[in-house]
Amino acid sequence: MSNSAAVAVSSMRARSANALGHAAISVGYFIGGLALLVAFWWLVIYLTSKDPSLSQFASFGPVPALKSMLHMWETGHVQKALVASGYRLGMGLLIAIAIGVPIGIIMGRSKRFRELSNSPFQLGRMISPMSWEPIAVIVFAGWEPAIIFLIAIAAVWPIMFSTAAGLAKVDPAWFKVARNLGAKPWQMVTEIIIPAIMFDVVTGIRLALGVAWIVLVPAEFLGVTSGLGYTIEDARESLEYEHLMAMLVVIGIIGYVLDLGCQALIKRYSWHKQ
Amino acid sequence: MSQGGAVASAGVGGAGAGVQAMRMVSRGAINFTVGLVILAILWAIGGHLIAANPKTANFAGFGLWPTLQAFPELWSMGKLQNATYASGYRLGTGLLIAIVIGIPIGILMGRVTWFRKLTDSPFQFLRMISPLSWMPITVLVFSAWDHSIIFLVAFASVWPVMYQTAAGLAKVDPAWFKVARNLGAKPWQMLTQIILPAISFDIFTGIRLALGVAWVVLVPAELLGVTSGLGYAIKDARETLAYDHLTAMVLTIGIIGYMLDTICALLIKRFSWHRGDL
Repeated sequence: MSNSAAVAVSSMRARSANALGHAAISVGYFIGGLALLVAFWWLVIYLTSKDPSLSQFASFGPVPALKSMLHMWETGHVQKALVASGYRLGMGLLIAIAIGVPIGIIMGRSKRFRELSNSPFQLGRMISPMSWEPIAVIVFAGWEPAIIFLIAIAAVWPIMFSTAAGLAKVDPAWFKVARNLGAKPWQMVTEIIIPAIMFDVVTGIRLALGVAWIVLVPAEFLGVTSGLGYTIEDARESLEYEHLMAMLVVIGIIGYVLDLGCQALIKRYSWHKQ
Repeated sequence: MSQGGAVASAGVGGAGAGVQAMRMVSRGAINFTVGLVILAILWAIGGHLIAANPKTANFAGFGLWPTLQAFPELWSMGKLQNATYASGYRLGTGLLIAIVIGIPIGILMGRVTWFRKLTDSPFQFLRMISPLSWMPITVLVFSAWDHSIIFLVAFASVWPVMYQTAAGLAKVDPAWFKVARNLGAKPWQMLTQIILPAISFDIFTGIRLALGVAWVVLVPAELLGVTSGLGYAIKDARETLAYDHLTAMVLTIGIIGYMLDTICALLIKRFSWHRGDL
């Protein structure tokens, strides 16, 4: 073990200079790409607003958006929206995980359950989440639980199917060995199943996050008076287009960061460390 | 019926593999039906409980029977066809635009390293802007609501097509390109003879993912502004308190989505190289 550790250290040293160079290059690409995007954005708005009849579109540009983002941060609008949306997103995802992972495990372990549940679950999956909205509003007393329900029902399918697919890939010998060593059903779950499928569960959560992120904004257009969707709707109604663009950027950044977080978790739980 | 088919093929005594395949198909058909029947029974029980409780009797329309009865009603009124047609047009046009834009950019990402690295951060950022947040802007830019919905569908579905195409191309053996070049393939032939056949599987996988996202976006996009389509039909049913129509439209959305998804899955299977695995 110490031998392999020594090899690892020496190869790490040899690589570290190289890695530093690579990191610098990828940071360069990252910033360069975003700079290009902002330049393109600026150009489109500049060319549009040159036409006098379209001059009001100037407030869609990157500079007003950035200024208004700083302003909205100082006044606490951004943070408030983030807390409200984050709570709904987090609760919805949590419910989806709490329901999706156990059902996914049953789907992966019991062939009968998987075969029987396939058609109703596929049907349920393909019901566009927002079409539950009128029903959710009637069933739940407040808008808040209705939005959480919409996010949960959008997010539960990828988690469920990804968990089941992950379990299907697990070597059956593991279960045999565990059973022969006298593992109880509970230990089977905590010692074999959960570690084996963590990668797939997190992959499912990343997919679920993507769908939940799509559903969150339209769900907040209606009824509630907080959150990212509401802030956009509010900016539109008060014709504050620089606020609108600022919120768009905030949504993109938060989504990007959340997605990167999921990617890091996926990497962390991957067996193929590369 | 499917059981009969299996018995018939066994009687004919075709190849053993054929019989087995038939049995698997019939087993699949039985599971498919039984699964849906179980769902229907649970729904019927739920509907009965809602109708039996005087407090919730107003919502009896949510039950299974009223919902099933609403289907012929909606069909004869033409609502079902109109909504499906309007939504289908928006979905189809949006997906088409996403495919036309997504595949070339995906190929470029797969073939040109600097392009892939440079576009990574802006594309990931744009991808994570929730599509519906563009709605206020698209409404200003496009004069018609229809166009703005098509834009939203296209914007949401372009990313999976693009990324799957790029990922598919990254998996292609570089030797193929070398061989083609050595045999004197022109760039156009490279595209039609090597790239497209190699990545058609990944493209259809991308289209299937895109369809799923487009389906999620379509309904909320239709909740606002327009007066046609599946999303509008749901909103309309709620506002008129026609709960049986509401659940019938929700079920319709599920059925159409399921069918479209199944078609995509079949196309993926058709273009897969690993025929045995699927």
